[in-house]
Amino acid sequence: MLHLTLAQLRASVGRLLASALAVVIAVAFVVATLVVSATASATVRTAVAAPLVDAAAVVLLPSQEGSDPAQPAAAADAVRAVDGVADVAVDRSVFVDLVGEGAERTFAQVDSVPAAGALRWQVLSAGRLPEGPGEVAVAGRVDAAVGDRLSVVPPPDPSAIATDPEEPVAEPEPQDVEVVGVVDLGGDPTASFVPRLFADPEQVAGWGGTADQLRVAAAPGADGTALVAAVADAATQALGPGAEVRSAADQTDVLVEELTGGALQLVGLLLVFAAVSVLVAGLVIANTFAVLLAQRTRELALLRCVGATATQVRRSVLLEALATGLVASAGGVLAGVGLAGAASAVGSALDSPVPLAGLAVPASAVVVGMVLGTVVTVVAALAPARAATQVPPLAAMRPLDPVPVRSRGGVARLVLGLVLLVPGAAVLAFGAATGSLLVGLAGGLPTALGVVLLCQRAVPPVVGLAGRVLGPLGGVPGRLAARNAVRTPRRTAATATALLVGVTLTSTFLVGASSTRATVTSGLDEEFPTDVQVVDVSGGYDPGAAGLPGGLTGELAAVPGVAAVAAVPGALVQAPGDLGELAVLGLPPEVFDVVRSRTGDAPADGEVRVGQGFADVWGVAAGDVWEVTGGAGTAELVVRVGGSVDQPVVSAAQLAALAGDDAPLQQVWLALDDAEGRGAADAVDAVTETAAAAAPGAAVQGAVLFRQSLDDVLDVLLLVVTALLGIAVVIALVGVGNTLALSVVERRQELGLLRALGQPAGGVRRTLLWEAGLVAGVASVLGVALGVVLGLAGTASALGATTSVVLDVPWLQVLAAVVVATLAGMVASLLPARRAARTPPVAAMAA
Amino acid sequence: MSPSTTPTAAPLPAGPDETTAAVRAEGLTKVHGRGEAAVTALDGVDVRVDRGSFTAVMGPSGSGKSTLLHCLAGLDAPTSGQVWVGATETTALREKELTRLRRDRIGFVFQAFNLLPVLTARENALLPLALAGREPEPGWFEEVTGRLGLTDRLDHRPSELSGGQQQRVAVARALLSRPDVVFADEPTGNLDSRAGAEVLSLLRSAVRETGQTVVMVTHDPSAAAYADRVVLLADGRLAGEVHSPTADSVLAALAALGG
Repeated sequence: MLHLTLAQLRASVGRLLASALAVVIAVAFVVATLVVSATASATVRTAVAAPLVDAAAVVLLPSQEGSDPAQPAAAADAVRAVDGVADVAVDRSVFVDLVGEGAERTFAQVDSVPAAGALRWQVLSAGRLPEGPGEVAVAGRVDAAVGDRLSVVPPPDPSAIATDPEEPVAEPEPQDVEVVGVVDLGGDPTASFVPRLFADPEQVAGWGGTADQLRVAAAPGADGTALVAAVADAATQALGPGAEVRSAADQTDVLVEELTGGALQLVGLLLVFAAVSVLVAGLVIANTFAVLLAQRTRELALLRCVGATATQVRRSVLLEALATGLVASAGGVLAGVGLAGAASAVGSALDSPVPLAGLAVPASAVVVGMVLGTVVTVVAALAPARAATQVPPLAAMRPLDPVPVRSRGGVARLVLGLVLLVPGAAVLAFGAATGSLLVGLAGGLPTALGVVLLCQRAVPPVVGLAGRVLGPLGGVPGRLAARNAVRTPRRTAATATALLVGVTLTSTFLVGASSTRATVTSGLDEEFPTDVQVVDVSGGYDPGAAGLPGGLTGELAAVPGVAAVAAVPGALVQAPGDLGELAVLGLPPEVFDVVRSRTGDAPADGEVRVGQGFADVWGVAAGDVWEVTGGAGTAELVVRVGGSVDQPVVSAAQLAALAGDDAPLQQVWLALDDAEGRGAADAVDAVTETAAAAAPGAAVQGAVLFRQSLDDVLDVLLLVVTALLGIAVVIALVGVGNTLALSVVERRQELGLLRALGQPAGGVRRTLLWEAGLVAGVASVLGVALGVVLGLAGTASALGATTSVVLDVPWLQVLAAVVVATLAGMVASLLPARRAARTPPVAAMAA
Repeated sequence: MSPSTTPTAAPLPAGPDETTAAVRAEGLTKVHGRGEAAVTALDGVDVRVDRGSFTAVMGPSGSGKSTLLHCLAGLDAPTSGQVWVGATETTALREKELTRLRRDRIGFVFQAFNLLPVLTARENALLPLALAGREPEPGWFEEVTGRLGLTDRLDHRPSELSGGQQQRVAVARALLSRPDVVFADEPTGNLDSRAGAEVLSLLRSAVRETGQTVVMVTHDPSAAAYADRVVLLADGRLAGEVHSPTADSVLAALAALGG
């Protein structure tokens, strides 16, 4: 039987490989994810380990505050005295300002470089390392060459901060240093964040650098573990219990973990999407094998006739699947490694946030890829293999009459599908109604699975209906396509199911994101009183304090896109009891033009309004009366609770009565012409520019900005998710094209007949495109329907507990998903359709 | 055996013990469908084929001849009745045992699609033996393929062989395992008269020279003339026999049926 299997493989190579493409893509996805993650880890590890490469142990110094500045050096001496220690370096660092040519300042991080010895880890790309004060080596984003001079402003001396917080702190003078070398930081992921300088330890200490750790180099032949223990003893003696000692390897691990800990979750998330792709690939392979074996019915029957047992037939099919799986997995692994390599190259060239240098291919990634792809292929082929054994020998006698293979699985699928769907949907609805995410998930999963199982039953009738309705629109090809699409209901259903999975997931995310956006946006009115607020943050509420420049209101009113402005002054007043000194805003009458909602009207004279949050914190209730004293007068104010501003608010007139006419301008509230639309972004930019020019310390906030940052986040998230799910959809489309290609082979005779009877080649092509369009269209419509339900229910269950949920279906995007999937299905079938169109009429006669 | 030249519905000769019969059936009935749509393909057919004989089964279309072949060969289960191949009652066997019987003790030649397109002629011919995990008897393979004139074509695929050559490969496959009986379903239906004559004379020489038993269904009187005996069927029942047939005597017998 083996040589038969091999012969079958050789003969079917083309068809098997085309369908194995699905496995290649899925495996490539998984492997690429694993390799990129391993590469990033390895890159980070190399970078993090660079300073520790020649060290044996690290002593992490406890906080230096209040301790003897000579302590680190003393500790270093103590450790140096330990048997087996070759050298100890005290690592200091400090943040300084680099003064550029135009007097602009940039932050820079300065690290100490030991004067000489093994513990100098820096790799030079030019010049040399500093050997004393006045010299620095540069790295990171510092744009300087050997021989340049830099102006460095160290931070102010902490001990020089005056006891009177009012008095400004004296800033140190800039110091001139010479650049003597350039350091190459290689793959350090933090290298591009901040400009880096390396200086002599004394220099760093002179600039106020704190000692962070001691690095210990071991003498050759020293026992690592014993050394670390001995160093720990010495360190504890010198520094007290606050010192922590780790071996260099352990410290590397800790640092790597800090930098990549969150990345693990990201990788996990990516692998979830990869798992979806694998599932869809399995569906495609199962369908392909079913079709291939259906085309071999005669041969299978002949085999059974001449005496092959069912076991022999099944084993032969599974062996074919195994070989296909191995080859496809190998291809997928290579493709995945290639993809990861490309990502790494692009990443390091473009200075990406994800650290990628070179390529680290862990053996585990290769093994996982090979095993996963092979297992999926073989498992997917199990059911078709079993069906192949059901072919009765008699089928060999009647070649023109393909024996329909009855499947008992149909009933089992129906029952299982209903069993999953009905209670699942109930639980999902319950979760949505009560806003419980866990319940929603518990219900959503079986619902989705149940629907996928029921698709086997649901898809053919729906395709039939769609065909009957839409087919006539396409003339003869359309009508033929409508009939053809339901000729093999199981095959049609299987093809559609694979596509449906991808489309459902995509539309779930689309609807979920849209509903989340709507829910969060609807709550904005309660959070922010206006579209945009320009707020002074210098904290000066005293009369005569800076506040915002008086002319700012007028300037902002002139900004294009701004509909109305209101100037809001504020002052400090004395309130009774625990409330003490309160910062109070005064709302002018024109504030009504500017606020987003009228909830909580502006307080009248004699009233003070506070937000619910303030009331809860301070135990204040509506109707309380406060006696309030400001710089210019006293008043009795009745408390009202509500509105979107938490801090106490009075009318502008009331504020003037309390604090005088020259209360500083605290905030400017603006309303935009087009707050909801895309023009808002430009208006916000213009407002921010104007405000920054007039008042550099001001903060710009407001509902519109919040919405924009929310939009940015959601847009990126949606883009990424859609791209990841798009891979699964592509796999499903490969399946659509493949199934059609295989059916063309089957139908050669009848296609020849159509041509012989006079249908033009274009008509044949259109028939096949219509078929593909019908199946893909029905799959996507059903998919988005399911996705809408899951997305809405999911949002309700995820957010329902904290806010009142607004459900929103992005009909345009959903429609686009249907159109794109349908068109893509037709595109995937272009090649087989063209080939079918070339069938010569004489094929009708061929036996 | 009692030779008879008159085409009558002769009853089974009584007496001889079962093991001289290569194939035997008693009360074979096959009904397709149910209730009103029921079609009786075979109606209580008794038949007996002696070892070393070449039997042809003929009848008008719808007479049940193909169904008879299928039931005798263990490819289809009769509604009632029993079939023996040699001493084994096939109607009492389970699917797996029936499969083994087909592999080891029955040979098949069909009208078309006899061969697996992905295998060479040699591999096709050796297929049942390969399935059984057995090697052919030394010399037997060469003798059979030599006699069938296939020696130069053994490594070609079916697509590279003519129709007649393909049928000869099928015959080789059928003969190689020395089965109790070879069943042939319209083996010359797709062939021109020369190729057909070749295949038929090869079957006959297998019967004459090696004592092979062959049962052949055909609609062609000149093909039936190669057989020792023609069994006639009409409407699912035995309708006569012709011994030592010639094309003319068979034609006459068929005409008598059709009347």
